[in-house]
Amino acid sequence: MNKPKYLYKADVEFAIYEFISEGKNGRIKKRIEYTETTTPNVYNLGFGDYDETTNSINDLSVTNNGDSLKVLATVASTVYAFIEKYPNAYILATGSTNVRTRLYRMGITNNLAEITADFFVFGLTQEGDWREFEVGEDYEAFLITKK
Amino acid sequence: MNTMKKIEELNNSKIPIIVIDKKLERFKGQTLFPEKLARANEIIAKYGLPEIKKAPK
Repeated sequence: MNKPKYLYKADVEFAIYEFISEGKNGRIKKRIEYTETTTPNVYNLGFGDYDETTNSINDLSVTNNGDSLKVLATVASTVYAFIEKYPNAYILATGSTNVRTRLYRMGITNNLAEITADFFVFGLTQEGDWREFEVGEDYEAFLITKK
Repeated sequence: MNTMKKIEELNNSKIPIIVIDKKLERFKGQTLFPEKLARANEIIAKYGLPEIKKAPK
């Protein structure tokens, strides 16, 4: 992922990541969490703005901080970090809103050649079928695992 | 290693440089995105997972 990205911190288990987005609306703390689902080895990727005053996450916001590509490259980079630690993991990502789902799709599309060199990438169609990710298609969710 | 050097290295590497922050441990065991986790579980239950044939290592 040879793209500008933010330096980030992780917990010792590489399941929680934090970085600060710096843009036109100021500094916004972002948090990423990989949580194991009820299916062993399948992890949900959660991503949102962290509000320190309320100790809560807002995963509905679209911050418009003017750095969405850099933010997406940073999130993608945590996928590499997580998979390095858990090489057999499957990562499932769903957008909390249609805008967020499109943002994920954009992130995958912009980095597809690099991502598919190392990962299988699937999209869940609106008909409920998992298909190999194709540029321009709409998906409800995404699944990534190391080749 | 200064911060600029770290960011340059980070941008040029697939496997990122990880800075461990023990303060993040306090979030361990909390589910920060419960609705998305529920949605992920619902998707797996309803649609399963794609069939993936990984090459033997």
